[in-house]
Amino acid sequence: MVGVGALALSVLLPLAGKGWHRALSLQTFGLLCLGASGAAVAFGARSFGASFHSNYAPAIGVDRLSGFFLALLALVAAPAVVHARAGLARAPHARALTSLTACFCLALAGLLVARDVTSFLAFWELMTLLPAVMILVGDHGPAARGHVFTYLAVTHLGGVAVWTALLVLAHHGALGGAPLHSELLRSLVAALAIIGFGTKAGLMPLHSWLPRAHPLAPPHVSALMSGVMVKVALYGLIRVLFQWDAPAPLWVGIALLMLGAFSALGGITFAVFQRELKRLLAYCTVENVGVVVLALGASLLMSATGHPLWAAIAFAAAMLQTLAHALAKGLMFLGAGSLASVAGKLELDSLGGLLRRMPWTGAAVIIGALSLAGLPPMGGFASEWLTLQSLVHTVLQTAGREPGAALVSALAATLLAAAAAVAALTFVAVIGVVLLGTPRRTELANVNETPATMRGPLMVLAALCLLVGILPGLLVPTLARLRPATAGTSVLHAGASLNLPGTGSLPTLGLAATLAALVALLWFARNGRAAQRRPAATPAWTCGQAVEPTLAWSVAGFTETLRLMAQGLLPRLLELQVQEPLAALALRGAGVMRRLQSGSLTTYLGYLLGLLALLLALVRLGLLS
Amino acid sequence: MSFTLTAAGAVQLLGGVCAAPLLPGMVQTIKARLQGRPGPRITQPYLELRRLWKKSRSNPSPHTVVYESVPILIAALLLLAVLIVPVGGLSPGWPVGHDALVLVGSLALSRCALGLAAWDTGGGFGLMGAARDLAISVSAEALLMLTLVLLAMTAGSTSLVALSAAATKAHVWDEPAHWAAAVGLLLVVLVETGRQPIDNPDTHLELTMVHEGPLLEYSGRDLAYLQWATAARHWVALVLATELLLPQPAAFWGRMLELVVALPLCCAALALVETTQAKMRLLRVPLLLGAGGAICLLGIVSYLADAHG
Repeated sequence: MVGVGALALSVLLPLAGKGWHRALSLQTFGLLCLGASGAAVAFGARSFGASFHSNYAPAIGVDRLSGFFLALLALVAAPAVVHARAGLARAPHARALTSLTACFCLALAGLLVARDVTSFLAFWELMTLLPAVMILVGDHGPAARGHVFTYLAVTHLGGVAVWTALLVLAHHGALGGAPLHSELLRSLVAALAIIGFGTKAGLMPLHSWLPRAHPLAPPHVSALMSGVMVKVALYGLIRVLFQWDAPAPLWVGIALLMLGAFSALGGITFAVFQRELKRLLAYCTVENVGVVVLALGASLLMSATGHPLWAAIAFAAAMLQTLAHALAKGLMFLGAGSLASVAGKLELDSLGGLLRRMPWTGAAVIIGALSLAGLPPMGGFASEWLTLQSLVHTVLQTAGREPGAALVSALAATLLAAAAAVAALTFVAVIGVVLLGTPRRTELANVNETPATMRGPLMVLAALCLLVGILPGLLVPTLARLRPATAGTSVLHAGASLNLPGTGSLPTLGLAATLAALVALLWFARNGRAAQRRPAATPAWTCGQAVEPTLAWSVAGFTETLRLMAQGLLPRLLELQVQEPLAALALRGAGVMRRLQSGSLTTYLGYLLGLLALLLALVRLGLLS
Repeated sequence: MSFTLTAAGAVQLLGGVCAAPLLPGMVQTIKARLQGRPGPRITQPYLELRRLWKKSRSNPSPHTVVYESVPILIAALLLLAVLIVPVGGLSPGWPVGHDALVLVGSLALSRCALGLAAWDTGGGFGLMGAARDLAISVSAEALLMLTLVLLAMTAGSTSLVALSAAATKAHVWDEPAHWAAAVGLLLVVLVETGRQPIDNPDTHLELTMVHEGPLLEYSGRDLAYLQWATAARHWVALVLATELLLPQPAAFWGRMLELVVALPLCCAALALVETTQAKMRLLRVPLLLGAGGAICLLGIVSYLADAHG
């Protein structure tokens, strides 16, 4: 309540002409209160306030799932708001943006605590409209207006599906009551929910608005949109598929796996070829939403085939991926804001060498990028490991009863592995071209580190990314219990590492400690007392020529091999290459036939004679009678 | 039981750390004999490591702490991988677990670290090699995942200990799935060890090298770490191939004996492939790995048809 009050007050403060700095501090406080109460509900057992009902009278309440998403909102929004203090200093509309940010946070929180269809849909619309307003306040050039129009048009078309699905559910009393009776209606609601919430979450065939709208907003708004808003759309999807429309038909799980895999690989494939950091990050959000949806699909399939343990683990995988991505993406968008504040534009090929000038921001961005690339020991690795394990175990558990589902999940696991490898390449390129090497513009050589209010939020988010990666075992049992409409019993034991049945376990703490110890050991062996002469300073090897800054590698060069490989592979996969071998075979057959047609009369007489002899022989043998 | 566990741990450490350079040494020697040259001794890698350990390091200017810490990180990650891969189907309880996907993750991080070092120096050859390595890894990781799914289907787990235990049962060879997994895993071994036809470890021709490219700037102890890491990658890949694919006796010492016989045979096989195969055009590598993936997919379909019917 205090949190909501503080947020509401911070909406009014800038409007009343008071300092927007103070309003932002108030917002941070409010968000932290909100997040703390959300986390308390998520980790505790009790829910507060009303539970879902199908009347149209407004009601609010918090259960475990809502509590988790509230905590997620606070984890991303509080650092984002602190970052905005310095980020908005030079912005022309700081006051309006401050007020709107608080409204946006309130809309997100309102959607999460809504317990009836009226307020749910009202907050849903607010959540869609407020970012559009914030983008237009910051930048209302014709290009921005066009993108915002696309955003509003696409998300409202998706919104039609959300409205229809929710109103059908409410009309039949399925919100907090008996599930729908008709199988057809259940399938229809599930399909509408996937289309509607999937559009807002940026699932691949429905994603077109996301990479247009996210990069336009101010950095802290981008962080909120990519880190939280798309996750809140997934929250709606979870409510429909796991609670109001449960048990979902089997095809829903398979459809989610297909969409998720397509989104994961497709999103990151678009990301790797982007030339601008924020657009790249936006496409990477499409990938990560795909990974969450993959885990949700695995969870649905497992519960449909009667494996509650793995259904819970897969759900926990989805939630861990949600958390890890929200932290890392919030960090990266804020980091992009910090970089833009010193470097101006964020065209990747115009940056470079910033780690030396901005060590704190640079280190935090490296941690966020490694987490998004799904590399150990970051949070992204733990969640991707859990998701892959869920998919592998979906194959194992459904192999006997639903071979189709097993095949789809095997393919989904494969595509997810490929997506992870592309993500690794993407973020190696991002870290390399932005932070390492030599600056590609002269004015980058003497930029300075950002002020502490910009650095601090990045450091906090980076620490959280690492913490989620090192101690996921403390979270996963709680996350597994978040699944709505379960008894809420704990199926897993809390511990630092992830010891799951049917895996070789992920002892994250042990891995991190061992790695740190080995690194220390090897460092000492190399640089210790017994070390020989100082390292020799040499120029980088470019065949003995002088290093030309204008010839520095671009992202396009780094990703060229992948592009050529994809171009070579995809057409072959799609065309299956049947026509070329067939044509070659036909031509070779024609060559043989031409040899028969010599044109000489005696040969043709010989053919006739041969045929006659053959027929007579066949008649004689009784084969032609 | 505890004695064999200790023995398994000792073999893991001694084999993975100390004996690993023998494997590339063996491949080089056998390859030279097959080509009618006397070739280096199989202990040549040790001599090179000793020589490098005495030389001073070189740091290109400008560079950051990333360039300097990458060799250490890569060597540490390969040590981690050596500890993860069980020997003789036993894991002596290192605090790193024994999960196949964790192994994949640590190898992926070592690959990315090398890419970051290449960006840090800004040299074209290093970046070229790193870009190729990461691009190949896209299809290689997808193939590896399919192979792991196949192997996990017969073992019921992604734990390397369980996967290796499944190989001790004779009936896995009745499964077409296991044969398909063998094809997939062997292709992945070729990629991970950086051997022909994927990569040519002997070349320093800038336009053809993959794994050697980012190593160009390093020397001294840094290069020693990186060369040891290459040898350890041979150990990890070949031990995994023998543990998961060959029929195994149940007794630990029998399996140790088999490992001692099988590893040189694997090296001979790698040398034979290198002698008979030219390096493949880079853009055709995904096709080769994709063909392996298609075989694995057939294996999955056959397994599912079997399990369902």
